[in-house]
Amino acid sequence: MNSQSQSQSQSQRRKNFKIEAFKHKVELDPKYAERTWKVLEHAIHEIYNNNASRLSFEELYRSAYNMVLHKYGDKLYSGLVATMTAHLNKIAKSVESAQGGLFLEKLNHKWADHNKALQMIRDILMYMDRSYVPTSHKTPVHELGLNLWRDHIIHSPNIQARLQDTLLDLVQRERTGDVINRGLMRNITKMLMDLGSSVYQDDFEKPFLDVSASFYSGESQQFIECCDCGSYLKKAERRLNEEMERVSHYLDAKTEVKITSAVEREMIANHMQRLVHMDNSGLVNMLIDDKYDDLSRMYSLFKRVPEGLSTIRDVMTSYLRERGRVLVTDTERLKDPVEFVQCLLNEKDKHDKIISTAFNNDKTFQNALNSSFEYFINLNNRSPEFISLYLDDKLRKGLKGASEEEVEVVLDKVMMLFRYLQEKDVFEKYYKQHLAKRLLSGKTVSDDAERSMIVKLKTECGYQFTSKLEGMFTDMKTSEDTMLDFYAKQSAELGDGPTLAVQILTTGSWPTQLTAACNLPPEILTVCEKFRTYYLGTHSGRRLTWQTNMGTADIKATFGKGHKHELNVSTYQMCVLMLFNSADGLTYREIEQATEIPALDLKRCLQSLACVKGKNVLRKEPMSKDISEEDVFYFNDKFTSKFVKVKIGTVVAQKESEPEKQETRQRVEEDRKPQIEAAIVRIMKSRRVLDHNSIVAEVTKQLQSRFLPNPVVIKKRIESLIEREFLERDKADRKLYRYLA
Amino acid sequence: MASRDRVRFNIGGQLFETTSTTLANAGRESMLGALLDESWNPGQPEYFIDRNPACFSTLLDLLRTGALHIPSNVPEKLLYREALYYGLLDHVRGAKWGPFDGNTLRLADSVPGRAPGDGTAIRGAPDGGCCVAHGSVVHVYNWMLEERRPISLDYQQVNDVGYIDANSIVITARERLGKGDGGMAVFSAATGELRHRFRVEHGRQPKSFTAGALSLAGLDDHRIFSSCKGRLNEYGIGVWDHNTGQQVDFFYEHPGCSLGDADKLQWLPSKNCLMVATLFPRTDNCFIGLLDLRDKSIPWCWSDAGITMNLEDKRVLHAIAMEDGHSICVINQYDDLGFIDLRAGNTNSAGTGVRWSSRSKLMNQKAPYEESCYPKLATHNGQLFSCMNDSISVFSGSEHVLTSTLRRSYGGSICDFSIGGDRLFALHNEENVFDVWDSPPCPII
Repeated sequence: MNSQSQSQSQSQRRKNFKIEAFKHKVELDPKYAERTWKVLEHAIHEIYNNNASRLSFEELYRSAYNMVLHKYGDKLYSGLVATMTAHLNKIAKSVESAQGGLFLEKLNHKWADHNKALQMIRDILMYMDRSYVPTSHKTPVHELGLNLWRDHIIHSPNIQARLQDTLLDLVQRERTGDVINRGLMRNITKMLMDLGSSVYQDDFEKPFLDVSASFYSGESQQFIECCDCGSYLKKAERRLNEEMERVSHYLDAKTEVKITSAVEREMIANHMQRLVHMDNSGLVNMLIDDKYDDLSRMYSLFKRVPEGLSTIRDVMTSYLRERGRVLVTDTERLKDPVEFVQCLLNEKDKHDKIISTAFNNDKTFQNALNSSFEYFINLNNRSPEFISLYLDDKLRKGLKGASEEEVEVVLDKVMMLFRYLQEKDVFEKYYKQHLAKRLLSGKTVSDDAERSMIVKLKTECGYQFTSKLEGMFTDMKTSEDTMLDFYAKQSAELGDGPTLAVQILTTGSWPTQLTAACNLPPEILTVCEKFRTYYLGTHSGRRLTWQTNMGTADIKATFGKGHKHELNVSTYQMCVLMLFNSADGLTYREIEQATEIPALDLKRCLQSLACVKGKNVLRKEPMSKDISEEDVFYFNDKFTSKFVKVKIGTVVAQKESEPEKQETRQRVEEDRKPQIEAAIVRIMKSRRVLDHNSIVAEVTKQLQSRFLPNPVVIKKRIESLIEREFLERDKADRKLYRYLA
Repeated sequence: MASRDRVRFNIGGQLFETTSTTLANAGRESMLGALLDESWNPGQPEYFIDRNPACFSTLLDLLRTGALHIPSNVPEKLLYREALYYGLLDHVRGAKWGPFDGNTLRLADSVPGRAPGDGTAIRGAPDGGCCVAHGSVVHVYNWMLEERRPISLDYQQVNDVGYIDANSIVITARERLGKGDGGMAVFSAATGELRHRFRVEHGRQPKSFTAGALSLAGLDDHRIFSSCKGRLNEYGIGVWDHNTGQQVDFFYEHPGCSLGDADKLQWLPSKNCLMVATLFPRTDNCFIGLLDLRDKSIPWCWSDAGITMNLEDKRVLHAIAMEDGHSICVINQYDDLGFIDLRAGNTNSAGTGVRWSSRSKLMNQKAPYEESCYPKLATHNGQLFSCMNDSISVFSGSEHVLTSTLRRSYGGSICDFSIGGDRLFALHNEENVFDVWDSPPCPII
């Protein structure tokens, strides 16, 4: 029992006893390391001499392992460096001695050999790579092999410059049309990349870029002297594609950006202005001739360089502005408003197509086009009138038989022009006038087209802009209903007198002129009076005024030999013709006296009755084109026409004469005054105190959707408001205005 | 065809037959891969290798099945040495433990410390190794848990450690009065050598400083953060690029929020903010804030100033931002978990924003005993870990249900733990022993 416990404590003591490490190192056979290294060194020689088949991998791996294990890693590593360096120096000699074209072949061949050898050396020394290299901050074997190759081969004084020259020469030869060995090139550039991106860049890429830049600088100079713009661009594009192809075949992908930017700089950026402005073939000529391919090429090439697209855009803009300016100020063109607007539309279509096909629908180009149109359309202050006239033409007859889609296309195009207008209120004025004539004469092609146009204006300019135009449509409808009711209730009393169609127009909605009514023939007057009684009977508190200048009439006339015709005439003309029921000949003065038609209208009306061939239901003496106050008119008994219905002198909307234009302008200016005043009051009501310039700026901003107010006019309106005590000047600062509640 | 695929080995006298297909699993970058490569006369009837056959058998099995089974007669260290010879060490490591899951952890090893006393910190390396900071020394272990050369800081107290990558350890240290040392530096994990120091400049003047808590921004973001205390009240958070060692920024402490003393830093990529927590007992009042380094603002902060009056009150002792970036998890001296919502507005007012769970009612009714360590928190893949006394609790799911407890019988309370390289390392207070927990590789069926 006792002894047992003792032995137990003894064994415990033995467990705690630690064996101390030997103080002196157990040395291996000192020649061991040397011997082992010799084996490995021999193996490296054999590998380089392609004699590896006689080597045992297991033995070599074990040898290297043992050297590392026994702390001979340093010896192993430095031995490797020395052996490999010796071999590389031999290789360098053999590469140097290669003649001419064989130089690259030789280098490539040796590089392949070295890589294979390096792989095998690394296999043997794998253990060293894993355990010795990381802890002793050495370069791993593979990287070491590449670094040594770089230092002893690529950077050897007899190879470095020769290699560079050879590579650049090959590229140059390929550029001039020779076929070169691209596979070999690829291997060599790949080698440079494997040696590290800095080797590739310093030994090849940088000189390559320099040489390329000077090559293209020379070539572009030569091209630009002898080519037109289109073919120059073709050549530049081809060169650019060639360089990209070169990169894909045998250069580093990262070189692409650098070489293309060199080509772009030399071939495009440096010659941009000259190309664009080239005589007879530059950008303007391409635009005129619709050269979509050339334009598209120019766009895609110029896009690659800074300021490229803005150069194209600037030239295009100034060309468009100049061309537009000429167009809208050409007095020949101003004679036919429809033609004028059509011309603008064609111009827009042409350039829209260029932008969409050649300029990739570039937003900035679209903006440039729009701003150009805005610029020149407003150069001519008749543009609003002409655009309305164009619409009038289309809505009267131009769109007859067109499908709904076609109508929409036309209207949308016109709306586009409308958007460019600064004086939208002027357009409104004309449009109202023209619409009124269309509605009253029943000459509009399609109610849908009219309404569609109104909707477009409404979405563009808001409810206020079109409320009166819509009122006109309402009046037309109400009139129809009223007439139906009138005849339903009064038919017994009316008997078989002339049929009356009254259109009741709300004052203010229509562009009515204050003209006194003419004397109507008694037959008509009776019916008119009956209608007046009926209407005022149903609508108390209203006032009816006859607008005889706007009406039409259908009358039946019997000419000599019993020829009967139905004549479609204006109310004025009807009044004149009815006079001839009781007289054969009348002088101008007699007619004027009897009808009281304003002189200007009467002349126009007589002219269309007596002077138009084929429609001359009256005969004038003396025969002449113009009406003078001494003329005498006779019923033309000999009038014939192959039509039963004859339409005489319809009131066609025409472009205004100079005095009319002045008058409209005057009216527009008058209408603007209250709008400007309203805007000023609105602004001052919220801001209370404001200086002059700010008011002008804000008023302009508020009204620009309708027109561009003139600052002088604004100033006058402010003064008027001060007089009427809406505003006052600040006592201290005269530039400030105050709102008076 | 079949016979050509067959390969015969004589390993230390024992014959093995396998196929080149099996050996291909070793990869070209291994000794066996090179041996069979066509550049070395392949197709020999038999390859002789002068190595241990039992280990070869285990490694061949690993190549055949992808699973590691070490027979009891093969010492692990011997197997590792043989794997290193064949270049298969990475294969062994990959097969030794599986993807980390807090609910399948098993104790893989327990490594005794060098001396008792409280260790400062333990950190897991991305490759499964770890390091333990203890006083002025950082002990470094590789994934085989062999100790490497320790990093010694010449008696400067280590405050925090962290891995930049498996081979680079960053250490923060306390400045000693009058020495002008301390600060922060990167060391090689393999050799313990100093790589480079991180310096702080104030007004273009380099200044010595005490570096505290550490945080790394993340994978593609090379920033590293540390709390800093300079001699002349230059308190705040320093920011460096860990590749270059250059200082890139400094966030000076605002009045009312202590940053230079912070216990915990954490980069929140989803908020582009750095969470800073300065906690009891370093300060009397806890402060948790999010720093926006771009405009030097504190878009969110929380403090318990004014609600904790005496020692029995619940105090926030550690904090961690949850992985979703929506809340901060905190823990108190009763092992309660609490959550502060980050999405709510600025909860600056009297720390009312903590939702405490009521675990303490179930577990620790009494105040904790004296030798306990302060609790710590960690998150990994949606799981939440907390250590209290001698055990680690694992909480899973969005409701943070307690699903596992990790406990060892000796070593005393856990003073720090860390998750890294798919392993959990827990450092015990009394013996300075640390435990390694990992999840087993995927089961066969």
